[in-house]
Amino acid sequence: MITIRHGSDRGHGDHGWRESWHTFSFGNYNDPAHMGFRSLRVMNEDRIAPGRGFGAHAHRDMEIVTYILEGSLAHKDNMGDRRVIGPNTIQAMSAGTGVVHSEFNASEKEPVHLLQIWIEPAMEDAEPSYHQISFAPAEKHGKLKLLASPDPAVAQTAAVIHQDARVYAAELGDGETLKQPLARGRYGWVQVARGSVLLNGRKLDQGDGAAVSDEPELSVTGASSDGAEFLLFDLA
Amino acid sequence: MQDVNVVVVFHSRTGTTERLALTAAVGAVQGRAFIRLRRLPDPADQAIVESAPGWKENRARMDMEYVAPRDADAEWADAILVGIADGAGVLSADAERYFDSLAALRAQGKLEGKIGASFTQGLPTASLYAAMCRAGLITVPPMPDPDALEAARSQGRRVADMARSLRRKL
Repeated sequence: MITIRHGSDRGHGDHGWRESWHTFSFGNYNDPAHMGFRSLRVMNEDRIAPGRGFGAHAHRDMEIVTYILEGSLAHKDNMGDRRVIGPNTIQAMSAGTGVVHSEFNASEKEPVHLLQIWIEPAMEDAEPSYHQISFAPAEKHGKLKLLASPDPAVAQTAAVIHQDARVYAAELGDGETLKQPLARGRYGWVQVARGSVLLNGRKLDQGDGAAVSDEPELSVTGASSDGAEFLLFDLA
Repeated sequence: MQDVNVVVVFHSRTGTTERLALTAAVGAVQGRAFIRLRRLPDPADQAIVESAPGWKENRARMDMEYVAPRDADAEWADAILVGIADGAGVLSADAERYFDSLAALRAQGKLEGKIGASFTQGLPTASLYAAMCRAGLITVPPMPDPDALEAARSQGRRVADMARSLRRKL
């Protein structure tokens, strides 16, 4: 079964310095019908004006993955120095017992466009950790690049999170198809970051998400002449 | 679990006390408190600011990242955690102004049952606690620790825990 969450139906907030679209309830947008999907709790699409951002704030017991689509974001937390991330970089933070951090657009000229994902951890009070891993754009062209997983064996190339969830990114050219099996009892979420795709024949446009259950396979086909990019979640 | 709110107010020039403030906030979060971070303004003259390495850049960055404490923050908070960089043993004019604003809130009965504590161990600590008493806060003394970061973290944790037990009793 595939249930589409249309991008235009998401919660929307325009704060001047920040425009946000919330797939699930977040902040002032609260809809009990859209509280998350399996362990996926937050899917925010943010555009942040140059030099602006989120001042120091806390997180606890949450796995936070930030995926930059355009521009750059400066991150500073209590654990270390200021770091700047851009596209083709995995940034994941396990808040665990507590992390305080700030996030600002690192550019004085260009906006930053990003997806921020929160996944509920399987455990409370984990040791806080921060992962930042860059990868070559080719690693997501026509194939799934693993961004985060619970598997420490692949910690060199994908962030380790405290949940039975795998997060992938991929780019597809027009008509290009990628297939990923979905094990029995597992759930999928597809979030379109750019362009349009066909998911098992259903059209998804930029900003759309889709919850998938009881499907043996996810077949995603690019449906944009200038390419499409999406995130795929394999969830317990 | 009873919700508790902790506001962390700090004065920092080159970022050292800011780091302690973030760590104190983490301690409070470990104690499952909600936190706000507020920075006292740093109005030092540009010429003086340029004389110290790191001051200018950090001031510009912190001006962007933080807002100054407002009355609403103290009213929201169950505990006020303050950190001030080592100075001459007396509070800066800005810190004095901040505590004056708290004393005014106290006069309106708005700080009843709230905790005040320092997360730094430097020279102005005694002046800081005198100012907290003037604001009518229930003070929690700093725990000496050779590791300043650990002292800040454990103080944040302790203050969150105490604010929660105090809220249960009041």
